[in-house]
Amino acid sequence: MKTNKVVYYLKKLLIFLVSILALSILVFFISRMTPTDPLQSYYGERTEKMSVEEKDRARERLGLNDPIVIQYGKWVQNAFHGEFGISFKYKQDVKIVIGKRIGNTLVLGGVGFILTFVGAILLGVLCATHENSLLDRAISTIGTITSCIPEFWFSLLLIFVFSVIWHVLPSSGAYSVGKEGDLLDRIRHLIMPMIVVIFEHLWYYAYMVRNKLLEEVRSDYVSLFKSVGINRRRIVFGHCLKNIMPTIVSIMAISVPHIIGGTYIVESVFSYPGIGMLSYESARYGDYNMLMVLCMMTGIVIIFCNILGQIINEKIDPRIKANEITERSEVSYGDGQ
Amino acid sequence: MATDNNGFQIVGPKQISAPVLSEQTKHRLPSVSFAILGMIVLGCLLANVTATKDPSYMDLMNYTKAPNREFLFGTDNLGRDIFSCIWYGGRISLSVGVIATVISTVLAILYGSVSGLASDMVDTIMMRGAEIVLTIPSILLVIFIQAVLGEPTTLSIAFVIGITSWCSIAKVVRTEVRQLRKSEYIVASKCMGGSFFHILIRHLGPNFISAIMFMVVMNMRSAIVTESTLSFMGMGLPLEVISWGSLLSLSDKALMTKAWWIIMIPGLFLIVVLFCLTNIGNWLRTSVSQKESNL
Repeated sequence: MKTNKVVYYLKKLLIFLVSILALSILVFFISRMTPTDPLQSYYGERTEKMSVEEKDRARERLGLNDPIVIQYGKWVQNAFHGEFGISFKYKQDVKIVIGKRIGNTLVLGGVGFILTFVGAILLGVLCATHENSLLDRAISTIGTITSCIPEFWFSLLLIFVFSVIWHVLPSSGAYSVGKEGDLLDRIRHLIMPMIVVIFEHLWYYAYMVRNKLLEEVRSDYVSLFKSVGINRRRIVFGHCLKNIMPTIVSIMAISVPHIIGGTYIVESVFSYPGIGMLSYESARYGDYNMLMVLCMMTGIVIIFCNILGQIINEKIDPRIKANEITERSEVSYGDGQ
Repeated sequence: MATDNNGFQIVGPKQISAPVLSEQTKHRLPSVSFAILGMIVLGCLLANVTATKDPSYMDLMNYTKAPNREFLFGTDNLGRDIFSCIWYGGRISLSVGVIATVISTVLAILYGSVSGLASDMVDTIMMRGAEIVLTIPSILLVIFIQAVLGEPTTLSIAFVIGITSWCSIAKVVRTEVRQLRKSEYIVASKCMGGSFFHILIRHLGPNFISAIMFMVVMNMRSAIVTESTLSFMGMGLPLEVISWGSLLSLSDKALMTKAWWIIMIPGLFLIVVLFCLTNIGNWLRTSVSQKESNL
């Protein structure tokens, strides 16, 4: 029995490693197939005035002249030593550039993620306990509408109302000039991006919680508890919610890529200096080293969460061999990233 | 919850009448959504009739004008009439949605059914492959492929969105096919020499089509969102090609001039279309699951 478990987890680990390898190959080759000139991101405007020989020398120096397979081999070798090269655009070690910005994204994505799920559970419970009441229907309609608003447009709307008309919140960046350490200032910059991140996903997950809970309150033990005289709140929070918790956790694990994808767009609209904006920049201007690290980072997180979701699902219901719940939750939100 | 005045509650499965009623209302045809969507689509198709001006004409005398009698929805910073742009732009936005969805659905059905009919090992490899593609944030994938294809045009952007958004449908098709492939009629068809496409179209297709209809509608929704997001960020359609997204790419200037109509009006059209599609999608989903439970 124990060896079975070890084999099971080893298998998952193998899948994880193979997926990451495949991802790195895929991103490496696709990004180099694009005609974007990486010299453009290294030398900026100067590229246009450079002669062919100069360009060639620069390429040689950046190791861009080797055949692509050799480049990939070198990259893997260096990656194992923790060397990811320099960013062509920032002329600094990739790790340093990312290190400066990752905090911003972790705050935006992490806090957004937690608030989304706390909100989703509360909203889901509220709707489920008032099933088909006016409240439930009103929340459902409003929720469906909010989930239809494209992220970038919602961001624009907020900027228009709060920055342009009322001048209460700053429209871009993570802090005002010279106020890097000021916590309050940072929070002020965070409010609008955070609202967008939360609202875009809130209803989708709240709706899932609501439906799961509605199934759960139909089960027989709820009648039993009620006849024993346990009050509704205790039944809902103490028992029903507890029973559907594993499902919610697996949905949370699978939702990570969507929330990451969401922060990409939000960061670009608000010029919020996080890794989402960085990857957008690096993909656009051919900053290969940067792009590889960023894609690998998000890829690892996403693959890890997917496998985690699968493990939880298989634990809950050993009959699920395929990742059914993964499929279902990807059904409607494969979008918008 | 029925409570009587003594603080006692009636317990038990007596409240069934309420949910049954709601089931009925839930499965009602979303006629309002269909009507609104139909009107918008019709307005876009007949853009030369609905539009009051030439959408690409830049009226330099009247730029950034608020909505008035001549310019029903106002003009943008380049002096283009937004009312006319909406209808002509809708043609582009909606056709990107339709073309991208057709491409992704065809790809998904082919990939999913090949994977579903293949041996276990090939199936696993194909599905892992699809999952790995899913892990790359699709906006990056779109940027890459668009860069390979060169200057974005309506067709190329629809193509790029189409080939990056088939994975999740393919997974569902594959699951369905896997359940079906041992059925007698498929084995029989194979024995009689039915080709892959014959089996796909005659036997598999009719069985899984209802399961993916909802996702197809949702894919159309996300294709429209992706196009407008890309155009807004300046990576999609250029300014000269009028779509709802490229109209919004002027919003930076609109923010500075406080021209709310440039931001609000294309956005509202976008949201209304997306909302109608969502309603239709949900209706498809519930009507499918209703069928399943009756079996």
